Amino acid sequence: MNAQDLLKMFDGEALRALAPLMALTIGLLLVLLAGVFPLGRAVRSLLVVASLVVSGVLHANLLLGGKTPGTVLAGTFASTPTTAVWGVLFVLSTLFAWLYSVRYYEEDAPFKNEHDVLMLAAPIGMMLMAGARDLIVFFIGLELLSIPLYALAAFRRDRARSVEAGLKYFLLGAFAAGFFLYGSALVYSATGSLSLDMLSSESARAALATPMGLVGVALIAASVFFKVSVFPFHLWVPDVYEGAPTPVTALMATGTKAAGFAFLMSALVLLPVSTASTVALIAILTMAAGNFGALAQQDVKRMLAYSGIAHAGTLLLAVAGSIKDVPARDAAVQASLVYMAAYVATAAGAFGLLALLERDGSPTTLDSLKGLAQRRPYVAAALTLFMLSLGGIPATGGFLGKYLVFSVAVRSELTAFAIVGVLLSVVALGYYLRVIIAMYMQSPDANTVVGEPRPASGAATLASIVCAALVLATGVLPGWLLNLT
Amino acid sequence: MSAILFYVLAVVALLGAAGVILAKSPMGSVISLLGTFFALAVIYLLAGFQFLAAAQILVYAGAILVLFLFVIMLLNLGAMGSRFELSFAPLQSGRARLAAAIAMALALIGLVAAQRASLKALAEPAADAPALDSLRGIALELFGRYSLPFQAVSVLLLATMVAVIVLAKRQRAGEHGSGEGAQ
Repeated sequence: MNAQDLLKMFDGEALRALAPLMALTIGLLLVLLAGVFPLGRAVRSLLVVASLVVSGVLHANLLLGGKTPGTVLAGTFASTPTTAVWGVLFVLSTLFAWLYSVRYYEEDAPFKNEHDVLMLAAPIGMMLMAGARDLIVFFIGLELLSIPLYALAAFRRDRARSVEAGLKYFLLGAFAAGFFLYGSALVYSATGSLSLDMLSSESARAALATPMGLVGVALIAASVFFKVSVFPFHLWVPDVYEGAPTPVTALMATGTKAAGFAFLMSALVLLPVSTASTVALIAILTMAAGNFGALAQQDVKRMLAYSGIAHAGTLLLAVAGSIKDVPARDAAVQASLVYMAAYVATAAGAFGLLALLERDGSPTTLDSLKGLAQRRPYVAAALTLFMLSLGGIPATGGFLGKYLVFSVAVRSELTAFAIVGVLLSVVALGYYLRVIIAMYMQSPDANTVVGEPRPASGAATLASIVCAALVLATGVLPGWLLNLT
Repeated sequence: MSAILFYVLAVVALLGAAGVILAKSPMGSVISLLGTFFALAVIYLLAGFQFLAAAQILVYAGAILVLFLFVIMLLNLGAMGSRFELSFAPLQSGRARLAAAIAMALALIGLVAAQRASLKALAEPAADAPALDSLRGIALELFGRYSLPFQAVSVLLLATMVAVIVLAKRQRAGEHGSGEGAQ
């Protein structure tokens, strides 16, 4: 590479590919600057929403506006229709989490400005992860996503649970980052490259199948599996999800998972075909760990954390399918996009409604949900919809995603795994229905703590309506989403 | 000659790393870390990466370690125990031993894998691999192929700075929180 190539690298296509990230970066800087001046909350909210919306529109423009730039910047970053859909999902999950956070904290809570800055940094990291064609870019994206989340998990420094969540997440996340770097070093030693495109060449794939290459890939996979909470790296999830402020939990559950799977889908070249059954087995174990763990929970927030583990397992089955059957890869990418689209709307909505209930002063236990249908009928109705979607009932988005994932698994001749997966999904209905039963068919005991219903903020109402609409739209009229992906 | 030097330096780097964990006083940890940094810098020199070696000394030994020292002195942690006393307390519990054993096993697997691949079979860097032994080569790589990660790191550092402020800044009296930074 010489100086002339440098100039050619930064052309219009590169700019178009990076524009969504730049919009968020500029928004982040403006929000940070706005904290210096006494501008008040309205300006800050406007900046946050505007930068997220602009970034989302730029992604939509890439998706709908004809040709996408493809791989740019010397092969380190890719902007394809797939990454554009992922980008929209990242923006949505951040937007939902932010909307639910608007009146979640106390009126005089400190560092509100910094909270918004960190929330805007996380999706930049997710977009880097989804578009990365080079392991270095991916690593920086991973850290740019993780570090704000460590701080956000511990954001309520006056609560021991929150600080504990932040510390746990940080220590384990730092280990995972170390695994990733060690793995990348081994992959580089084995193949001489960190670029995903070069790693997909025949000679590089042979080098990856050597012991050193395999150990490297396994370490990288372990680090990504940690982030998306796959067995046996899922043990941190319940504690961190429960301790973190609920809007932050929503961002962790939806955004981190989406970014991790976006990378897994684009980095499949790393995994040799022979690993397909192993990955499928891990997927089944993850589903089992999540579903049986959730059955035992009394706290709905913890239950949703375990349910998130189970969903990661289901999605991993699509990854396993596309490892085994290369021609099925497009179908697997579509399945994962649809699955995550439904999951982002559903999980963000479910966690967001829990945040609303917490604001009422109610704990998030099953007991305190009893009789919610009388106290807050709309919240109960929306929560019912989200629970049904998480359980994969037809006419909700969750069903469509599950259907696509299992059909990918069957097409790739992982039928046995798919059958076990479907059975485990039936187990899952047990705990989702329990929430609905508590809300509609049981009344609170004398000693149950229930919240005092307070009017929800406009932002949270808007987020709930959009989430519910998305869940229904993907379930009832799946055509538009299938066309987009 | 350079092979002998490499092994000596590698042992020094590893001993320093162990010292960071095992030293009883934080000051001892910092000094051990300094040893590791210097040994690494000389290893970079041996491999022909002068710029990297200089950056290692300037940035890590020069700036980051001094920052550590400041923190230790400001928090008055320097007085805990003798500087050269070692403590094996981190390895007392069964769980810690298990974790250490797993970590060592992983490292061993890596080593054995590297051995089996034998050093000769290590892949040659790709044909367009950068010439990192000159400032020009480094600049072209940094602002060329790695310009995206280079710029993304600046956003990452900014976000990290904000995150650290959120976690560590002392809150004024009357606001929420105990007034103590999260450790």
